Amino acid sequence: MSPAADPDAALMLRVKQGDAAAFTELVDKYKQPVMNVAYRMLHDATEAEDLAQAVFVQVFKAADRYRVSSKFSTWLFTIARNLCLNEIRRRDRHQAESMEAPHPEQEDQPLHQFEDTQTVSPPERLLHGESADKIEQALAELPENQRLAIVLCRQEELSYEEIAQVLRCSVSATKSLIHRGRETLKLKLKPYLQSGAWHGPK
Amino acid sequence: MSDDPLYNRLREQSWRRQLTGPEQAELRAWLSAHPEAQADWEAEAELNASLSRLPDAPVPGNFTARVLQAVEHEAAAGLRPREGKWLVWPWRRWLPKVAFAVVIVGAGFVSYQKVEAANRRKLAESVAVVSSVSSLPSPDILKDFDAIRALNSTPPPDEELLMVFQ
Repeated sequence: MSPAADPDAALMLRVKQGDAAAFTELVDKYKQPVMNVAYRMLHDATEAEDLAQAVFVQVFKAADRYRVSSKFSTWLFTIARNLCLNEIRRRDRHQAESMEAPHPEQEDQPLHQFEDTQTVSPPERLLHGESADKIEQALAELPENQRLAIVLCRQEELSYEEIAQVLRCSVSATKSLIHRGRETLKLKLKPYLQSGAWHGPK
Repeated sequence: MSDDPLYNRLREQSWRRQLTGPEQAELRAWLSAHPEAQADWEAEAELNASLSRLPDAPVPGNFTARVLQAVEHEAAAGLRPREGKWLVWPWRRWLPKVAFAVVIVGAGFVSYQKVEAANRRKLAESVAVVSSVSSLPSPDILKDFDAIRALNSTPPPDEELLMVFQ
């Protein structure tokens, strides 16, 4: 792949030469997708923020070694994947507290709080917030490789081949992971999916 | 779920993005020919819609500034004198391994010392045994050894004289 085919790779080559503006451009472009992946993998907004920051610092530190062999986004999400898995392993080792086990005093609070940028009426907002929580919860319960495959699948920049590169498996294995994860989600969310209550505002 | 390749291709595309107009038309035509797959497609579409409506994770307004600050910090750390780096980082990383190696080498040295001490003790014991044996005769008694030995030696027989006698 040539830098001309991937504008982000061209930006990364400028970063390699010490161009801070190019780095800022890359951070601005990818901070949201990286945060989404980190958040959906860790389910802790603060940890996701720290991890996303670490991903970009890693990108900067590895700029010297960067080669345009694949799309920049594939490389970026591979770094994000590695850091997420490291963090999950570290949590497993240290059995750190997470938001998945809410404090008894906070049990009546929603699992995750997001700023709702859409303009919807209060009842719709309530319904939408509840459904989002249910999906987040069902996603969080998936095995980490299925969860990551589904989350990456929603990143429109990535093709199945690129998702497979990030996950370090074949395209067919990637599709199988997504399929299995989605089947589990459908099973868990069946009552909500059948009710059609999640259509939300058109 | 259908195993039809066309349906599978469209379904897999729908996992990643919204189907294009022609793809939607293709799907509608296929579903009209395969009404038994309608329920499966509806469940897929519902899940797609639900996942796509998940809100983005909140990104703080100063995120980029914080990343740049962290990067500057990293760059500054990279400019520190190399000796300093060697003093700090390798020891932090290698200290447990070095400590383990020191313990192993130390244990080996102690074992070697014990084996050596045991060998020395055995040697000392054998020297003590030899020293306890009674002393050998004095070398003075051997001063006439050669002369005495010469007495025992007889000259070779005189063959010619023996022939005369015969």
